[in-house]
Amino acid sequence: MSAALFSTAWQMARLEMQTFLSWRLNLGLQVLGMLARVYFVSAVWTAVYAGRAEVDGVPLETLIAYLTLANIHVWVIYPQTLDVLPPRIRSGAIALDLARPIGLLPQLVARSVGGIAGLTAIVIGLLPIAFLVGSLRWPASAEAGALYLVSVVLAYAITLAIGIVLGLIAFWTLETNGIGLLYYFVNLFFAGALVPLWAMPDWVQKIAELLPFQTQAYLPISIYFGRLAGTEALRALGIQAVWLALMWSLAVLVWRRAIHRVVVQGG
Amino acid sequence: MTASPIIRVRDLVKEFRTPRRAPGVSGALRTLFTREQNVVRAVDGISFDIAQGELVGYLGRNGAGKSTTIKMLTGILVPTSGEVVVSGRVPWRARERNALDIGVVFGQRSYLWWDLPLIDSFELIRRMYRMDAATYRRELDRVVELLELDELLGTPVRQLSLGQRMRGDLAAAIVYRPRVLYLDEPTVGVDVLAKERIRAFIAETNRSEGTTVVLTTHDLRDVERLCRRLILIERGTVLFDGRIDELRSRYAVGRQMVVDVVEGQGALDLPGVDEVRREGSRVWLTVYPDLEEIVRRIFVEHTGSRA
Repeated sequence: MSAALFSTAWQMARLEMQTFLSWRLNLGLQVLGMLARVYFVSAVWTAVYAGRAEVDGVPLETLIAYLTLANIHVWVIYPQTLDVLPPRIRSGAIALDLARPIGLLPQLVARSVGGIAGLTAIVIGLLPIAFLVGSLRWPASAEAGALYLVSVVLAYAITLAIGIVLGLIAFWTLETNGIGLLYYFVNLFFAGALVPLWAMPDWVQKIAELLPFQTQAYLPISIYFGRLAGTEALRALGIQAVWLALMWSLAVLVWRRAIHRVVVQGG
Repeated sequence: MTASPIIRVRDLVKEFRTPRRAPGVSGALRTLFTREQNVVRAVDGISFDIAQGELVGYLGRNGAGKSTTIKMLTGILVPTSGEVVVSGRVPWRARERNALDIGVVFGQRSYLWWDLPLIDSFELIRRMYRMDAATYRRELDRVVELLELDELLGTPVRQLSLGQRMRGDLAAAIVYRPRVLYLDEPTVGVDVLAKERIRAFIAETNRSEGTTVVLTTHDLRDVERLCRRLILIERGTVLFDGRIDELRSRYAVGRQMVVDVVEGQGALDLPGVDEVRREGSRVWLTVYPDLEEIVRRIFVEHTGSRA
């Protein structure tokens, strides 16, 4: 059973990745947009620093490296299910997904993993440019690098669950464009991709710490640059683990309710 | 009918609730803030049994509740009330287990991966339905040959014509040899030759594999060619359930015809024609109107009596 599930999911992920990589123009534009964002965010912060070497004890170089990586994070780690599921619910194609010997949630996970694998392959190819344009740097230490990898996997799993929860809402509302946009803006800000959390006013920082978005860019990247090390890094991983458990439980709960809501559009 | 049918349906009901929408922009705005709902009974107390190996036509006008019934049989929709049992399981409760045993084609939709070559979708199906390599090879060769898909396997699905795509979807629903096959309008929008190929394939699968087939269609020639039994539904209820020849003799008046055949000619096996008597080379026949005409009259009569 689980072997079949794994083998199916593997193939699904491959097909999703193949599909993703088959759209060259889309890919090219995404990459351009991404590089532009990294470039402009760096330019803005360079101007803010106005020639000073550091503000609040943070050197400009560190800040720009942080923002470069943070923007790569919010680009790659996004709730892909929001692109996949609502259109299938709207068009009624969901009927065919539900008539399969594999549950809907594993199907969604497999598709997302495939998409992320495609994106990750692109990002790895682009890393040299990110080092040049955004002056990305190496992790603080080998240990930081290893913990960062763990943290990235957690960040992705959390975002995947959030995407599934948000995507399933389409069973009630039929569309999720508004939700997607809201997510995009809230996330961009609270993940710390425009302004790092440490540079935010205290009360905004407090809010950010209560939200799941910091697990996606801020925490893993802080580990990467060694701002969070030792027990603090482990604590960050703990926070991620808690969010992971919460979001997956929520996804399963929402799915159980959604089953009874299934209405197939278009006859 | 055998003692234990493979599909058993009793008093099946499905209601849909939709928000009540007023027309126009102001109506749309009002809809945003009201909670009024319309309740529509798409399926309203349907019962039938289908035996293993049967090939049944499930007919009705647009909106009669055909697709909704199929979706409850496949476990996609949860019934509002009533009972559905397929191979001893309640489809929506055991959705994934049930799915292993069934094949589904919805003519209006495709399960094939739109941007990728056809063969990639089959490879996914192989894994999903746990086929070993040898069985997969053999079955794939069989369906590819019967449906003439050989030259299309490397083509991205989005470049296939509707008829080609439909054959692809049919192959994907059958390659893992399901016990029950649900075909919801498998010939819609397909040209005459492709239709004939699809019909021949369905007949062959039913005959050689013993696959139970439930077929919905608006093309009565599909039914005439394939089915012995017909279930007619209208407004969510069963109007007629029985053999096609019963339908003919009950609802249509046949013309009597006497013909002389060549000596030694066997029984005439034509749709809509019953051989009544034979003396030497002289044969007495009853000739019925074609099925489409009979079904049309039933619908008109039924709708008329309600109006």
